[in-house]
Amino acid sequence: MKIVVCIKQVPNTDTVKIDPKTNNLVRSNVEGIINLFDRNAIEAALQLRQQAGGEVILLSMGPNSYISSLRDGLAMGADSAILLSSRKFGGADTLATAYVLSEAIKKIGNVDLILFGRQSVDADTGQVGPIVAEELQVPQVTFAESIELQDKNQLIGHRLLDNLVQEVKVHLPAVVTVRDEMNQPRYETPLNIQKSFEKEIIIWSENELAVDPAQIGQTGSPTVVKRIYSPEKAGRQTTTLPTDPHAAVTQLLEELNN
Amino acid sequence: MTNDKVSAQNMLHRMIVDFTANELAPIDMKIDQLGDYPEGLFQKVVDNGLLGITLPREYGGAGFDYIAAAQAINAMAFGNASMAVTLEGHFKTISQFLKYGQPELLAKYLPSATKRIFAFSQTESSGGSNPTGISTRAVKQGDDWIITGDKIMITNGGLAQVYCVLAKTEDDQMAVFVVDQDMPGFQFGKREDFIGLRGTPVGEIVMDHIKVPDYHLLGEIGQGHEIGNNAHDDARILMGAVLAGIMKHELKIAVDYSKQRKALDTPLYELQTIQEKIADIAIAKQNTELLYQHGAELKTAGEPYSEIAAMAKSYGSRSAVSAGDKALQVLAGYGYSREYPIEHLIRDARAMEIAEGTVEKMNTEIATKEVAK
Ligand SMILES: Cc1cc2nc3c(=O)[nH]c(=O)nc-3n(C[C@H](O)[C@H](O)[C@H](O)COP(=O)(O)OP(=O)(O)OC[C@H]3O[C@@H](n4cnc5c(N)ncnc54)[C@H](O)[C@@H]3O)c2cc1C
Repeated sequence: MKIVVCIKQVPNTDTVKIDPKTNNLVRSNVEGIINLFDRNAIEAALQLRQQAGGEVILLSMGPNSYISSLRDGLAMGADSAILLSSRKFGGADTLATAYVLSEAIKKIGNVDLILFGRQSVDADTGQVGPIVAEELQVPQVTFAESIELQDKNQLIGHRLLDNLVQEVKVHLPAVVTVRDEMNQPRYETPLNIQKSFEKEIIIWSENELAVDPAQIGQTGSPTVVKRIYSPEKAGRQTTTLPTDPHAAVTQLLEELNN
Repeated sequence: MTNDKVSAQNMLHRMIVDFTANELAPIDMKIDQLGDYPEGLFQKVVDNGLLGITLPREYGGAGFDYIAAAQAINAMAFGNASMAVTLEGHFKTISQFLKYGQPELLAKYLPSATKRIFAFSQTESSGGSNPTGISTRAVKQGDDWIITGDKIMITNGGLAQVYCVLAKTEDDQMAVFVVDQDMPGFQFGKREDFIGLRGTPVGEIVMDHIKVPDYHLLGEIGQGHEIGNNAHDDARILMGAVLAGIMKHELKIAVDYSKQRKALDTPLYELQTIQEKIADIAIAKQNTELLYQHGAELKTAGEPYSEIAAMAKSYGSRSAVSAGDKALQVLAGYGYSREYPIEHLIRDARAMEIAEGTVEKMNTEIATKEVAK
């Protein structure tokens, strides 16, 4: 099995300091660490490798400082790591990021499963995984609390949503975004830490990828952040329809007619 | 040092910080009350490769140097000193294997050092400070040695499976031999009921005519004292690291409490009497850090480190006991309660005024070196 885990480096909030004068984050010297949920994704990949064999490839887009997080993932036990790094990739929103990641996944080739954390703890959008799935035209299981290989070509995932768990079956290759409920990420080991520094981190820029210059970096990023706020929770009522399609349609029509 | 080396060391440090925060710190009090490691805890240490931190790569270890190892032990001691001392005992013993062991011995034992603990034993019921008085005997028989004797107060005694033992030959020369728990004639004796470091097993082994081949001799016949002293030196650097970790813990408790507790309307930390205590603890912690780190750097650079190592443990142990007393006073009534960890930190630190050479012995060594300069 060839598994790609996309990881993002985020500031370690334990060490983040606020500048008392400006009230801004002091970004210099802030230690970068692997996004919390991405560690769960790496753990999930390592467990699948243990079960089904194969390899775990880490993939990240960002500046060279992200190398430390890729090494960290290698020290957890991943086989190899690729950094997508270029000035041209800078300023990317979720769309441009997902586009470049998808092109890299195509270049890696024959990937069976692509794992993400359910969202990053600094931007919190949770969009990159789903967009990659669309770019690659593969099914996706978001917010998964468990995944189970059925056979070489199928996977069953449980999506933990607000008030329910949804079981979905998808054909591989597929994208899964992982919740922290799925597992307890392992520690790096001292030996794997040393070995992670002996492995070469592969670096790809736009020159190694077949990317359209109009879709990368700032140019490829249509997102404009106008305001950040928590939406009010709409208190809507959910009705669960019966699993039998006939009964479901009948009840749906009834509900619509009411 | 190369950048990669520093980064690997930092990553190890962060891994130990995480491991300690998740697996050890939450049960620090429980370990003390239980007087042992809870079921499965030691196995976690093994499974995460922590026994192999200093073991060279060729034997399956991670091959970190003493600077990284001391830093790791320091981070662990902040959460639990007992487990940090368990690692200290193992790492210092591996160092003696590497320095004095013959290739055949290293090939036989070191590959297992990522899974089982190695220990070093000099002390007998007749005393620890003056090892010339020991009665363990090594008698040559053909190509083998027959070891008979009783060793007590061994760090990790009972948990460890491989033991370096100081013995006297027939012509009263000191030598160190390696025995293991699977050898005929080997038996575990009693575990000490010590007042501190209550997780760390400290126990006895009884050797009844254990037969070992000649290559189980560390160094040479007559080198026993030197090897014992070298083991002390290596242990003292790491114990300095443990003590600085204990003081970091004491400091945190005192500082946190001083922020949250008020004397009427004034937070405790604004009182000069409290500030004095916090400053004393912080200074002692910082000094001990500088001493153990310098000792580790000297050892890594191949320079003499015996005196600095003795200073790290002598100064560190007395300071950590006294810092604990000051932290206790900041918390006063709560500090005196067994519901708070300070009292056990004092008991933990107190062990290191004794183990690996008493403060008196170390200070004699330091003074002797100063006079000879
Ligand atoms: C937690 C713990 C772990 C230990 N682990 C080990 C271990 O792994 N291996 C091992 O071999 N031993 C170990 N020991 C034993 C330890 O090394 C001895 O307790 C120590 O060396 C002192 O020996 P003693 O207890 O027999 O005291 P004694 O040697 O009887 O000393 C009694 C007192 O006399 C003083 N004194 C004695 N001789 C001299 C001298 N020549 N100069 C100045 N003062 C002197 C001492 O400082 C002390 O105050 C451990 C002890 C503890 C508490």
